[in-house]
Amino acid sequence: MPGDPKRDRGDTELLAAYVDGVSELSLDERRRVDDLLARDPALRADEAATRALIHDLRELPPEGQAPDWAALERSIHEAVGDTVPRPWYRAWRWIVPGMALATAAAIIIVLGVANRAATPGPSTSGSAQLTEIAVTAEGDGDRADDTLALWLDGAIVEGELDDDALLDDGWLDDEVAPYDGEPAAISLLGGDALEWVETLDGEDLERAEQWLDSPRSRRGRS
Amino acid sequence: MLDSATSAVTVDPDAELAERFRSGERAAFDQIVRRHQQGVWHLVRRYVGREADASDVTQQTFVRAFRGLAGFRGAASVRSWLYRIAINCALSWLRDHRREEPTELADDALTVASPVLAQLMGGQEGARLRAAIVKLPPKQKLVLELRVFDDLSFKEVAELADCSENTAKVNFHYAVKRLREILGDRDAR
Repeated sequence: MPGDPKRDRGDTELLAAYVDGVSELSLDERRRVDDLLARDPALRADEAATRALIHDLRELPPEGQAPDWAALERSIHEAVGDTVPRPWYRAWRWIVPGMALATAAAIIIVLGVANRAATPGPSTSGSAQLTEIAVTAEGDGDRADDTLALWLDGAIVEGELDDDALLDDGWLDDEVAPYDGEPAAISLLGGDALEWVETLDGEDLERAEQWLDSPRSRRGRS
Repeated sequence: MLDSATSAVTVDPDAELAERFRSGERAAFDQIVRRHQQGVWHLVRRYVGREADASDVTQQTFVRAFRGLAGFRGAASVRSWLYRIAINCALSWLRDHRREEPTELADDALTVASPVLAQLMGGQEGARLRAAIVKLPPKQKLVLELRVFDDLSFKEVAELADCSENTAKVNFHYAVKRLREILGDRDAR
């Protein structure tokens, strides 16, 4: 009984593969070729001729005079050397985690700077001004007692209590360092310059105290 | 049941050697060379013609393989990967040398090395077969040679010929059919 001609043609095209490597055909392909061979004597003749030809081809001696295989192996060994090369992706495999770490570090730094900038510091007007004077209360006794911490535009400068040059403008300009302690005592001084403080005598101070106690002064402050 | 269990535990020796090489064992590459240098040499020999040139191209093939094996991901078999490199090296060699020696290849390709084997095979019959193979279309010739002379599976042939496994089987069929036609015509003369 003739089958589907198109399908038969496709199955016939598998004949050489069937002859030379039946195990490499799927079960379905094998069954279809078996089927065709069973009902087509001409195909069976083709199968026999194909088998004979493939056998002859496989029996052909290799071309050319074979070289000295040991010498060829040695020459290859010498040509490639002894060091096993590393694949490119192994050499670069730290790039991604390295970049991730660097990015994380950069983000932390940027956030830290932004956070510090957003912290409300003592008021500033014009150039660097002395706004607070604090005596640090942390740390061990002697050092805490002797240390002055001055807030300047959100930064801290430290000096000794008995330092005569403490209130010198030049000293204030020199040392500016971040401060992470807490001020224990605060007193405020205003004004653009501090020299006038030194010019005050007892009389001036008395007058100032009287003025501060006067009703006019109280009205102005309320 | 037993067959499938057995095949499941079968390890491809080449894949194991490649893995050992990747982990830094230099000697594993020597074993790969020992296993495949003859196959590579015969494959290359069909392209370049002369034995000395085949040895040079074989060496070049393994040098490239040595550099690339650490990055070989195992998508194809090591053998078909090596043969692909060998074919590329041979084609590259042909491009560089075609103008220098245009006629030598064809003459040399038809020679049979061992007189004893040639006598056993019938030298004339062997020469006729080889001459018939030369007349095949390139794709059919490639598939036939890889299958018959290099003893590759249809899957490996397909990888090297850049086609599906089924196309490789069909090309093989038409190569054999065409050879029979060529040889049949000669018999008729």
